[in-house]
Amino acid sequence: MNKTVLAAIIVTIAMLGFTYAAVEMAGGLDKFLKDGDWVNMLAIAGAVVLVIITTFVVTKYVRQMQNDTASGNLAEESWDGIGEYKNEPPFGWAVAYLGLIVWAIWYFLAGYPVNSYSQIGEYNQYVAAHDTKFNEQHKNMDDETLKEMGESIFIVQCAPCHGLQADGMNGQAADLNTRISEASVKHVLIKGSNSNLLGTSMPMPDRNGLLNTATNALITDAEIDAVSKYVANGLKADDAAGAAVFAGTCAACHGADGKGMEMVAPNIAQMSPAMVDMVLNHGKKGAIGAMPAFTNLTEVQHKAVNAYVASLSQK
Amino acid sequence: MFHWLEKNPFFFAVTVFVVIAFAGLVEILPNFAQASRPIVGAKPYSTLELTGRWVYIKNNCNGCHSQLIRPFKSETDRYGHYSTSGEYAYDRPFLWGSKRTGPDLMRVGNYRTTDWHETHMKDPAAVVPGSIMPAYTWLFKNTADIDTAYAEQLTIQKFFAVPYNKELPMADGSKVTVALADTLEGARASALEEAKVVAADMKDQAVKDAVAAGQVPEIVALIAYLNRLK
Repeated sequence: MNKTVLAAIIVTIAMLGFTYAAVEMAGGLDKFLKDGDWVNMLAIAGAVVLVIITTFVVTKYVRQMQNDTASGNLAEESWDGIGEYKNEPPFGWAVAYLGLIVWAIWYFLAGYPVNSYSQIGEYNQYVAAHDTKFNEQHKNMDDETLKEMGESIFIVQCAPCHGLQADGMNGQAADLNTRISEASVKHVLIKGSNSNLLGTSMPMPDRNGLLNTATNALITDAEIDAVSKYVANGLKADDAAGAAVFAGTCAACHGADGKGMEMVAPNIAQMSPAMVDMVLNHGKKGAIGAMPAFTNLTEVQHKAVNAYVASLSQK
Repeated sequence: MFHWLEKNPFFFAVTVFVVIAFAGLVEILPNFAQASRPIVGAKPYSTLELTGRWVYIKNNCNGCHSQLIRPFKSETDRYGHYSTSGEYAYDRPFLWGSKRTGPDLMRVGNYRTTDWHETHMKDPAAVVPGSIMPAYTWLFKNTADIDTAYAEQLTIQKFFAVPYNKELPMADGSKVTVALADTLEGARASALEEAKVVAADMKDQAVKDAVAAGQVPEIVALIAYLNRLK
């Protein structure tokens, strides 16, 4: 028997032996059969087939190298004694090669330009399809689902500044668990505000325009301190000093209960979804710093964030 | 024909050149298309922004942060509109980056603010829990190199016709002019004016003092650059 064939048989047996050993170490064929473990069965079958095919192919080509002699007409050129045959290319290969050239010409001139594939077009189609499905799916959301969606958007879009607990991360951003901080009230009282939380351009005057009707004088530093604390603590009635200043100075626009008046002054007792919406659309600049507008959310997502953020301070 | 080419080295070289040049044309020609011209809204960097851009490059921010938003929904949801070719018209070199260890920064100016960057550069984990970005505290101490940025501005204005001191149309219909000073002193002064605007929103007293004294710390230049990435 030929040495090469003998070597191939020995290698095949050895490798199949290794496969058998590996299977035994993993629990044996019986176990796989009993478990109905098809993935492992396929892997074993694959290994066996691979071993046999590999040795067969390698043996074939090794023998070909040993036995074949080249034949055909040599080309005229000789490069340092190395010649070149002028044999016909294999028929199948030639057909595939010419076919590919024809296809390339078609693709270059007609296939690509006429199909006019565009990455942006694919993106636009994908987004449109996604939005349609998304809007359909979330057409009638109950409050709970809305807030849940709002929370997940909050984590991605808002938490980098407002923190996962929405506490503003040590003054990095507004603490959304309360309506307004003492520092912010003070800032607004002293400097006025044109935050347009109502969507109208009715600014709040600075301290030179804030008359305390109880004393009939401009608001004083002490009164600012008192009313800031009162508003930041949620307008609790037991803070008599703050309540008095509020009634005299702020209530005229913000209402006796601080809930604001439409087209006149925003609610400073509670967050409302509409207010959150305003801030998201227009951004905000206040005591802490500037917040950019967030306009890349869809309508449903906007609604969800509004509902979630408004709910934080109303627990 | 191939036998003939093999015997004629000169024409062989010419043919090689033609074949390779064709491949080059396929790569190069699209860059002359209208889509690659500066888009409406693109404007060249001001002196301080360009200074900050070099701080960005010097600290190899582009090693971890890309500036290229691909047209996939997952990316546009997070970073904003996908990038277009014409947006990079004034970027030399472009900072597309090749790897995102950190997030993309192409439009970071749209959703982060001066004070956020300030806190983040001092202690990234303070605002981004679990962040592996190192703190860049030296940016608060080093003084930014305004002069080199100004030299670059003059160069690109002269050789690449970058439109400084010219009215440029913006997306909302308004016109914006990016000023370039005539003298080095003027450039330093205008960079300082820009720096004052940034420093006003910062909390670090040492940085505020430095800007008030006419110095521009690197952090101010970097934030000015990041804020304009929109």
